Amino acid sequence: MDIEVIAEDEFGGESYRNLFGEIMADVGKAVQMEKALLVLKPEIPLFIFSVKLRAEPVSKTVADVTNIRTEGGTVYITITEERYAPDILKGLWARYGRNSVEQKTRLDIEVRNASEKDAGSLVVASGEEHLKEIIGAVWRSMPEGIKNRHTFIDGQVITVVATEERFEPHMLDEGSEYHRKMTEAGKDV
Amino acid sequence: MFEVLLYDGGVYRSEELFELIEDAGGTVIQKTRSSQMLSVTMSIPEEDRAVITAFCKEIGGEVKSVPLAGTEIAVVGPTLGRHHMPHPICDIAEHLRKQGAITVVMGLARGRGKLTSQINLEEKMIIGEYDAAIFSLGNFKPCVEAKTDLFSDIRAPVVLVSGPMPEGAENKCEAIVSGVGRKASRMRTPPEREKLDEIADKVGKILRDKKKLLDEDPLFIHPTEIKHLLEEYEPVNMCLRPAPVVLHLDGLRVKIGYGEHHEDIENMEIYGRKVGDICRLSPSKINDSSILIRIKTRSEVLQEDSVKEGGNDP
Repeated sequence: MDIEVIAEDEFGGESYRNLFGEIMADVGKAVQMEKALLVLKPEIPLFIFSVKLRAEPVSKTVADVTNIRTEGGTVYITITEERYAPDILKGLWARYGRNSVEQKTRLDIEVRNASEKDAGSLVVASGEEHLKEIIGAVWRSMPEGIKNRHTFIDGQVITVVATEERFEPHMLDEGSEYHRKMTEAGKDV
Repeated sequence: MFEVLLYDGGVYRSEELFELIEDAGGTVIQKTRSSQMLSVTMSIPEEDRAVITAFCKEIGGEVKSVPLAGTEIAVVGPTLGRHHMPHPICDIAEHLRKQGAITVVMGLARGRGKLTSQINLEEKMIIGEYDAAIFSLGNFKPCVEAKTDLFSDIRAPVVLVSGPMPEGAENKCEAIVSGVGRKASRMRTPPEREKLDEIADKVGKILRDKKKLLDEDPLFIHPTEIKHLLEEYEPVNMCLRPAPVVLHLDGLRVKIGYGEHHEDIENMEIYGRKVGDICRLSPSKINDSSILIRIKTRSEVLQEDSVKEGGNDP
């Protein structure tokens, strides 16, 4: 992930570059981010954190993250993206019951009395949930006292503008401008 | 001169160690047992260090110097939120514990934010109970400078730890250590360990100065003597809280209720005097579950004696 920092405070700017990278890596979101822009103005205070994701957060179904086939009335599922494994198992248990779902190995699951189409359409990760997690991670990386926040979301770009007390129009305008730049820019933002 | 050492080892033959400390004229400041492991903070005459170190090695333990032993230090953050905890606040507290201090980590109720941070009188009084306080602030210079009012009138000496070096904070605290701001990971690189050493050194120097000041009008009795007396008091003996008696430079903290026990303690006798006559007991501001004992100085006790004698004259 490429992190660009705009800050007058040299120490604070460099610290937040490291902090942002470490926090995103800790919460497992760094791999999903292509670029981050941090605008730090502690003297106002105004903080604008904008991230451009590698892909727009969309809902994932079992069919998206597994190889699925049917043989003799049993659906065989092989998980291809392991991070969804707990959610797949949870979803299958909820829909078909524990007696019908058997986990053969870490990535292989058999479901009895199920149809391939039905099992494959099960949603294992909603795009909204994913978006919430990313916004939560961005909030987490911001200074603690900066509680008044506004979020812009457009496809792959999420921009959080935050201040301590009330928003003034120029703050939101500035946030919106950085959001637009991140949205319009290509890979070489 | 007395030297403070920390023994870290097993409980095997520890009774012999205690006897040796007593024979040398030393005293046990703190004793913490965890299962079969034992940590003993002891104050011993400098000339007996070699004998005690040799015995500790013989029974399989290690000995090291702990310059901050016998003190209780508060490490204070703007809040206890994940933005400030566990790093670097817990790293600082851990490092001070390794130097022998008893540490307490606390966060202010409304310490966050540049424009809205504040500290109330109760928090100031709680922090003032400790021998020293370390305030750990953040990464931005304007924010750190705006928050110096948080500790400007605290009774205990304050060390400010922050990322950038703030301007105008020199007169509001005893020392400043810059280069340690908000962190998301442990302080384990060599430069970070050096910073922790620097913090411990600054705290050590402040406490040495405080000790020197106390020596100008010495305490009537050393806190360890009161500690030994209290350890025979059953409620203290039965107290399950870690370190039920904590030494301060000018007294002690006893972790039993003030309302229930202060009269018993005041009526205890040491060197023919009541503890209540040579110490001031007060409830801790944290809650009623601790008693603060401040030992009067020799001149204070002598003056009170002379007033009493004068009062008795016909």
